[in-house]
Amino acid sequence: MRVMVIVKASKTSETGKLPPKELLAEMGKFNEELIKAGILLDGDGLKPSSKGKRGTVIDGPFTETKELVAGYWIWQVKSLDEAVEWVRRSPDPMPGEESEIEIRPFYEPEDFGAEYAPDFKAYEERLEKGRAELKAFRAEAEKLNAKK
Amino acid sequence: MRVMVIVKATRNSEAGKMPSAQAFADMGMFNEELVKAGIMLAGDGLKPSSKGKRLRFSSGKKTVIDGPFTETKELVAGFWIWQVKSIDEALEWARRCPDPMPGEDSELEIRPFYEMEDFGPELTAEVRAKEAELRAYLEAQAKSKK
Repeated sequence: MRVMVIVKASKTSETGKLPPKELLAEMGKFNEELIKAGILLDGDGLKPSSKGKRGTVIDGPFTETKELVAGYWIWQVKSLDEAVEWVRRSPDPMPGEESEIEIRPFYEPEDFGAEYAPDFKAYEERLEKGRAELKAFRAEAEKLNAKK
Repeated sequence: MRVMVIVKATRNSEAGKMPSAQAFADMGMFNEELVKAGIMLAGDGLKPSSKGKRLRFSSGKKTVIDGPFTETKELVAGFWIWQVKSIDEALEWARRCPDPMPGEDSELEIRPFYEMEDFGPELTAEVRAKEAELRAYLEAQAKSKK
């Protein structure tokens, strides 16, 4: 199963203060372990909500700090418990502050009933076609640029 | 710049109620447009928080808390990662998005990523090099799976 592991924001992360270099180094090591174990699919950090916007155009910052997302990983694990074990090994993401990491499983195609199955297949095929077209278009653009 | 576009949860999404076939088809068309415009990097939906867990880090202690979590409107129901020229471009695309939670109030939140150039000296050359190596590895891994 795939899970999204959400690092919740803290007062410090919302100020945009960057983590100390010790923490960055520790996180780097943890990420390396995740990669070696074949767990890590993706991961990144988000800027404070003051740099963000919401739908009906509400400019950040947003006030409910503890519920905001500061960063995330996407992991491939065998179970939710395996994800919990990995989170336990994570360096404290917000040293000196209370913080939370939330683990949330993804919807996978098999979670949707049979009534969606044909749609999914056609949809995935169209997406794949779109990606191929885009790739071809980019290759063409690169060629043109190279000629210039 | 890369942004994460977060679809906030609602009562229905937290109840695990599936969108209608029509809503699915509309979202599918929107995703197709995003792909064709070279905007879409990733996107997915999360199961309700009742299927999730939290770990609280507090003064060196780690405590596991089982879902569901109560602050529905602040939970994440799904997300995209987009490659855009500016946050305003992201906003324009968000405006074109079909209502993600028909019949309910909902919000999309657009948040820029930290990029390498945002970090100063706290990101040592050694950590930078390691990071580049890890990302290259992840990319190669993703390609080999396709």
